[in-house]
Amino acid sequence: MFRHSRGTPERSAAALTVLADEELMQLVYRGQAEAFEVIYDRHSDAAFSLAYRMCGQRALAEDVVQEGFLSLWRSGARYDRGRGSVRTWVLGIVHNRAIDALRRRTAHDRGRVSEEGIEERLVAPERTDVEAARRDEAREVHEALEQLPAEQSRVIELAYFGGLTHVQIAAMLDQPVGTIKGRMRLGLAKMRMALGDPAEVCDEC
Amino acid sequence: MSVEKPNVEPEGCGCNVAPYVLGALTEEEHAAFSRHVESCAVCREEVAALQVVAAALPAAAPQVSAPAELKQRVMASVYAEAREREARERAEEAPTARERGGARGGPRQGARRPRALAGAGEWLRWRPNLAVGALAAAVVALAAVALTTGGSAPGTRVIQAQVLVPRASASLRVNGGQAQLDVADMPQAGPGRVYEVWRERSGSPQPTDALFTVSADGSATVSVPGGVAGLREVLVTSEPLGGSRVPTRTPVIVAGVS
Repeated sequence: MFRHSRGTPERSAAALTVLADEELMQLVYRGQAEAFEVIYDRHSDAAFSLAYRMCGQRALAEDVVQEGFLSLWRSGARYDRGRGSVRTWVLGIVHNRAIDALRRRTAHDRGRVSEEGIEERLVAPERTDVEAARRDEAREVHEALEQLPAEQSRVIELAYFGGLTHVQIAAMLDQPVGTIKGRMRLGLAKMRMALGDPAEVCDEC
Repeated sequence: MSVEKPNVEPEGCGCNVAPYVLGALTEEEHAAFSRHVESCAVCREEVAALQVVAAALPAAAPQVSAPAELKQRVMASVYAEAREREARERAEEAPTARERGGARGGPRQGARRPRALAGAGEWLRWRPNLAVGALAAAVVALAAVALTTGGSAPGTRVIQAQVLVPRASASLRVNGGQAQLDVADMPQAGPGRVYEVWRERSGSPQPTDALFTVSADGSATVSVPGGVAGLREVLVTSEPLGGSRVPTRTPVIVAGVS
């Protein structure tokens, strides 16, 4: 059993699960693996869902999530609650990892993944039941995205989920870079309005 | 000639905010825009507003279960590393534990007077929000935080800091309320950058005017302004010349004080 030599009270796994993410991060920072496991359990589905949506390949998505979580654990990086929830922070890291993975691939592969229906192409992982609050959030974000003009939602999806740069998107759609940036900006601004009070969007703030 | 609006500096243009929060700038553009945001309140405000939207986007992905074997792989590494870390801490707490870094005497750097910086700073090429990931690959081992009694001045407490740069080390020498940070084998902060010391009591790190660079051998000694009384941690990040009011990068040095 992992013991803590610097006075950290050892907590049972059950006791840890009642702690808020922010409290767990304090323990993670001190090297408590059990606390990290609780963080992993809480956010790995969301992290894997994002990575899988972006990478379109189960193996690559697994690598991305593994790298992301291990880097959180190893780097001792400080979670700053002023910048959003732990989930937002975890997903931000996974998003960046996935972008890196996608940009390392050849342009050919990248184009294929971003253009095809990612889910249908592969043996889809098991759908997961998400709690009601998350389902509501997902529905709101979906709706906000779908209400955008197609040209705006497309560039947002190609950028965020496809990992493409604005230059690549401009080339793909045969449009000036400025047009692409403008569509992204307009689209995000409209989504912000549709999602209402940022406090409601922000996860567990 | 028509009277046109002056050409807006491309980097500083607010039209980069959306691709920035979506992760759609190239690496170079991202770095340049990160610097711009630090000095432009208008862009900073828009980044904050649109980042909330970007943070909500993962919810639009179909929600699937992470494979069980993935958890096994991740947690096997985590528990193994936790055991190693604990073993290392035990070893450092043993009587043979030797104070590290205490005698290093790098030149004291004047606050707000960073010297010309050299070196490509390869290790700092990551973007701010990529820091965690990219840095981890470079981490060889985390120095454990250990408290020992210093061998130099009576009553001096030497705190080994966590350093996220391979081979580098740092220690905090605390005597009374005063504290001095000694770093060794640190790379240069990189072109146009400087190291900044932060004080963390609880929550957000507070900036100090202690900015420093390291000498050619990678050493530096810097006082922690205001001492460490009541602090939880002393942090060091790499920041643009002149320092920042909020950290823009993940700390490279973390010294637990409390």
